[in-house]
Amino acid sequence: MSHIPPPPCINSHFEQKAALGTLYLTATHVIFVENMSETRKETWILHSQISSIEKQATTATGCPLLIRCKNFQIIQLIIPQERDCHDVYISLIRLARPVKYEELYCFSFNPKLDKEEREKGWKLVGLSEEYNRMGVPNNYWQISDVNRDYQVCDSYPTEVYVPKSATAHIIVGSSKFRSRRRFPALSYYCKDNNASICRSSQPLSGFSARCLEDEQMLQAIRKANPGSNFIYVVDTRPKLNAMANRAAGKGYENEDNYSNIKFQFIGIENIHVMRSSLQKMLEVCELKSPSMNDFLWGLENSGWLKHIKAIMDAGIFIAKAVAEEGISVLVHCSDGWDRTAQVCSVASLLLDPFYRTMKGFMDSYWISGYNGNILHYFRYGNLDGDPKEISPVIDQFIECVWQLMEQFPCAFEFNERFLIHIQHHIYSCQFGNFLCNTQKERRELKIQERTYSLWAHLWKNRADYMNPLYREDHSQTQGTLRPQTAPCNFLYKFWSGMYTRFEKGMHPRQSVTDYLMAVKEETQQLEEELEVLEQRLADLKKVQSNNRKENSKQQDQNTHLGLSASNNSIANTPQDYINNVKSFPSRSPSQGDEEDSALILTQDNLKSSDPDLSANSDQESGVEDLSCRSPSGGGCLPSEDSGKDSDEAVFLTV
Amino acid sequence: MLGKGAGGSGAKPAKPSFVSYVSPEGHQARRKGYPNLLQKKWEGSSRFIHKEIHIKEPIEKEVNLHLLPGELLLCEANTVLKCVQEDGSNRGAYGKLICTNFKIAFLGDESASDDNEPEFKNKIIGENDITLHCVDHIYGVYDEKKKSLSGQLKKYPEKLIIYCKDLRVFHFCLRYTKEEEVKRIVSGIVHHSQTPKLLKRLFLFSYAIAAPTNTDTQSQTVMFDAIKDWREELERTKGNMKYKVLSANEAYKVSEKLPLYFVVPMSLSEESILQYQGRGIPIWCWSCHNGASLLKMSAFPKEQEDNTSQMHKIFLDGVYKTINKPPYEVLKTDDLSSSLPSLQDIQAAYTRFKQLFLIDNSTDFWDTDVKWFSLLESTNWLEIVRRCLKKAIEVVEYLEGQNTNVLLIEENASDLCCVISSLVQVMMDSHYRTKFGFQSLIQKEWVMGGHCFLDRCNHLRQSDKEEAPVFLLFLDCVWQLVQQYPPAFEFTETYLTVLSDSLYIPIFSTFFFNSPHQKDTNVSGEGHNAQSSHFRFLTVWDWSVQFEPKAQVLLNNPLYVEKPKLDKSQRKTTRFKHQRQLSLPLTQTKSSPKRGFFREETDHFIKNILGKRISKLINSSDELHNNFTEFYDSWHCKPVDFHGLLLPHIEGPGIKVWAQRYLRWIPEAQLLGGGTVATATKILDVIEEVQSLQKKMDEKHSLTVPQSREALPMLRNSARLSSLFPFALLQRHSLKPVLPTSTWKDLEDEDDLAKRDDEFVDLSEVI
Repeated sequence: MSHIPPPPCINSHFEQKAALGTLYLTATHVIFVENMSETRKETWILHSQISSIEKQATTATGCPLLIRCKNFQIIQLIIPQERDCHDVYISLIRLARPVKYEELYCFSFNPKLDKEEREKGWKLVGLSEEYNRMGVPNNYWQISDVNRDYQVCDSYPTEVYVPKSATAHIIVGSSKFRSRRRFPALSYYCKDNNASICRSSQPLSGFSARCLEDEQMLQAIRKANPGSNFIYVVDTRPKLNAMANRAAGKGYENEDNYSNIKFQFIGIENIHVMRSSLQKMLEVCELKSPSMNDFLWGLENSGWLKHIKAIMDAGIFIAKAVAEEGISVLVHCSDGWDRTAQVCSVASLLLDPFYRTMKGFMDSYWISGYNGNILHYFRYGNLDGDPKEISPVIDQFIECVWQLMEQFPCAFEFNERFLIHIQHHIYSCQFGNFLCNTQKERRELKIQERTYSLWAHLWKNRADYMNPLYREDHSQTQGTLRPQTAPCNFLYKFWSGMYTRFEKGMHPRQSVTDYLMAVKEETQQLEEELEVLEQRLADLKKVQSNNRKENSKQQDQNTHLGLSASNNSIANTPQDYINNVKSFPSRSPSQGDEEDSALILTQDNLKSSDPDLSANSDQESGVEDLSCRSPSGGGCLPSEDSGKDSDEAVFLTV
Repeated sequence: MLGKGAGGSGAKPAKPSFVSYVSPEGHQARRKGYPNLLQKKWEGSSRFIHKEIHIKEPIEKEVNLHLLPGELLLCEANTVLKCVQEDGSNRGAYGKLICTNFKIAFLGDESASDDNEPEFKNKIIGENDITLHCVDHIYGVYDEKKKSLSGQLKKYPEKLIIYCKDLRVFHFCLRYTKEEEVKRIVSGIVHHSQTPKLLKRLFLFSYAIAAPTNTDTQSQTVMFDAIKDWREELERTKGNMKYKVLSANEAYKVSEKLPLYFVVPMSLSEESILQYQGRGIPIWCWSCHNGASLLKMSAFPKEQEDNTSQMHKIFLDGVYKTINKPPYEVLKTDDLSSSLPSLQDIQAAYTRFKQLFLIDNSTDFWDTDVKWFSLLESTNWLEIVRRCLKKAIEVVEYLEGQNTNVLLIEENASDLCCVISSLVQVMMDSHYRTKFGFQSLIQKEWVMGGHCFLDRCNHLRQSDKEEAPVFLLFLDCVWQLVQQYPPAFEFTETYLTVLSDSLYIPIFSTFFFNSPHQKDTNVSGEGHNAQSSHFRFLTVWDWSVQFEPKAQVLLNNPLYVEKPKLDKSQRKTTRFKHQRQLSLPLTQTKSSPKRGFFREETDHFIKNILGKRISKLINSSDELHNNFTEFYDSWHCKPVDFHGLLLPHIEGPGIKVWAQRYLRWIPEAQLLGGGTVATATKILDVIEEVQSLQKKMDEKHSLTVPQSREALPMLRNSARLSSLFPFALLQRHSLKPVLPTSTWKDLEDEDDLAKRDDEFVDLSEVI
């Protein structure tokens, strides 16, 4: 019987389980080492992960300290001496809130890569390559150098893509009419129909102000899409918020002043609402063994999924406009760096299958931090700053991706783990990718020379992040994902893999994925084997014909073709002999019979559905053996072409 | 004979009257003014685009009505409009509505041509068939007002809404139907589906008389109707040292509630068993590997008289004494009627719960969205599911963790006892997670255990008070386990859904009797020549009655692997290494297998270490630990052995809505090319790939020239399946689901492949 070993449970941290241990504070980590168990389990927490520390009332056993992390881990420590507890508390408060970038872990973190590798890591993704892939610059869009030395807008990168017909005069004029001078710039371009997604900040229109250049700018965007006679202007804020901004001299575009625009509010709440919504949801997650009542009410009251849906709906709206109608869209919110970034990213994900690959997702500038278009860094709260500016903008985006993955399990090349690790590293500050607010700041800090790129790290381990269900062929869907804008609660789920992952074991879904990965590995090995066999077959045929030609006399004595024949004819020296065997997949029936721990799938299922196949019992064991290491495998030579570690023997049974 | 005749005449539709002909025509014209509908493909509603296209003028043609053996056509009505429910308008398909003694069926004028047939199809129940037992509620619409229909009707509605127990909702518009036909069909449907029935009038019997007696196929499902089955079960669980099978109830001499054979502790005396007709007797369910056993007992009814209750008490004390000493383990009793919700609570919760999914139109559906979670919570159904799972874990903890016998007590030991004891067995015994094992378990605990299926499902419509979805509750609990640990089960959620639907198909005897006694006393026909008139009932476990082998593939979990033989302990190291290969971190603690990465981190740590050793600290929480949470938590800390004990997550986020069963008919909830179906088809793809490689390798092994044709990759594409597959019937005209088949034979069926290609071309034209 074949058998898939149970996917291992991750040795995660259990809040429910109390353990006695020793706490160490280092410059970078909080480390808890358990005394009790033989393995001396260690729990490492980066200071930058700590989101809050709470000193609770002293009990008989000691002084409890509650540490909440940004990756949603919660740890409670009980320290016997109150003074110790206070020391730890004070130290942690300081350590968890660095004031300068230089104090962040990434500036001291050294994964022992040489300079070249570091540079290679940073070059994995590039902004201009990405725009080239989209097909710009072209007849309608060009790079503008108007922002060199960050003259026009210091939160934009130096290279900005704008419509060809937009002159420097128009751009500068438009920028003066926009909050923080963030003028409309290209975010996504659809080669097939010239429709584009542009982004900006809100116009300074107040109640009646107008700006000719800004109007011309929008006109230029429309003209860059010759097929269309209008553009959508999407304000992602609720209408009420936008109206309130008008009183402050900001606001939204007046449809009467701009020719050929269609204006649309979407109603995504602001960062403060989002922050408290997350807070409420996390409170539900913190409950110990919540009942259905606690959980369902808590989830509904937090409104978290409603907000996720709002972001998704906005993305769907934009994607629909671009893909179905072929209409360009200008997206803005207030400053154009929170909601706008989320929404544009979701829309691009829906539109372009490239972003659903691992490479593409990393490439995507919204998250790689090359562009001024990134999510604002102070939202992460990694540096000591105004807690009111912290908001789960990036968490929401990552959750949107996960929700899409849940709905379309075959559409993404990467898996849930990939997202979770990215989320972790956004806050870990171990890599330089997510540092700083703007390109300008990043250049000043020399991030690329002083820190390492997360993408290189993830790329190196990409086998762990593969989605075995990924379907590369997009011919059926034309590459566009079409989620339903249906009632959210049927579609949008609570992501326990993210928010409660530290609580119990592993996420159930994971097991299926792990199985599939095992199966995939299996298929790959089979394919490699096949190649070897084919090679061997060809060799044998050659040998055979050689034999016929050269040793026609000997031929009669050889009862067997194949191996024995080749030995006689080719293996003239012992070395030849060994090589010969080496290239042949090691045959070892006796060992093969012992093997039973392979991770092949359901032999029984196959059996029932396919009597023809299972009639040959050898093939069953043959396949099993392929995938496992044999402890006695030293005796057999690994096959050369299998591309595996040398300690991993591959067997075939005949 | 009579039935055949009636069916024959019924097959010929009466000529449509002038009125009925014109109105659909006019309707059609209006509908043609919707060219922009084709642009709506973004909405994912290609399903109804297609509907639009497919509605042609009603053609007078022979509608083939398939009647089962013994099925009689009772009444019919022509030119009935079956509405597309989502927008509440009167769009849809015209056809004939009929009512037989088995089902209510809608026969579209536009009857699906053969090549249009879905591959996952129930052979007994078509997409527009509703068995009489599947009807939940019937409403009539009078002037836009919805009224429940029952009993004698004075006025006949213009629209009929039928809510089904499998959560389908049908809207039949009768506006274009002749008045007398409306009268006949409405009163016919109401009468045959809503009024109380006698047991002998069940279609089960008509079918059993008329159907050709099929030879007994030897099934692997243990039916537990023979003494041998019980003996084998005792042996399998190693309970035969302490328990014995009794045949005292042969011919139901002891009790009509008990099965013919049952298992009791060896030390129990015969007379004590006979004393109270089986009440107060611990009956064996299952034995754990450590010798602890799960027992159940029907409690004595609450007696007014002190005397009687005193006697009962003495009797029980005696019984407990005998089994509370070695060789038996310590006994723990659990009265389920006090520790779990009552049947009324369960019924009330389910009634509220199903209302969330019985949706008339999309507006209703959207309305629920705002308060979805609180609505869900207020039904209390998920909480009941959770409490049952929790109770089962408690029992498991006693059996496994404390080596204690557990005795479940309930009035008749046939409702919640069945739920808990079966759940415990599914969780503890991997045998019951195989398909045949699960079916045997249902036979053992439910069918032989005397669960009153007839009363609980209210099949006879005799009393609403007895109705309670106890079996559904059990299936929902099992579904929770299946969705949490898919690889541990040989069957899929589709299997559970289909099983839940089979509750209402009255050709199987499995779910249509209250007890084995009732079945056995009714099994002999009216004639006195005993041999020939014995009814031969079908069992639901013969899935070939309902599904073609191709469709049955969807019931089996391709990822399931049978329990390995445990005799090769030397392989352990290998296995471990392999796990390592697979193991990937979900958490960011130190335990990440990416050693290289973290090793460097450690170096770094050593350099940076401040060396400030604070003191011995305790990492703990204040919560008082009882045995239960400790057991539960420690189990969840360990890696899951899919062939060992399985404990479900019972925190709020772990319990989910059984989406496949409850949402399958709601078009809004469907995702094109997404959902779990995409995963399932992909898995089948991968398996096929492995298979084909195996085959190839085989050929190479034998060093023969490959004889078979070059294998074509299966042209299956989950991008075209909707998430509601295999149940999305609305979808399938435009997007025919390609059913995954994992047999090699199918691959060689070139005709089939060619057809698929055509379909694909078709599809692109349609969209």
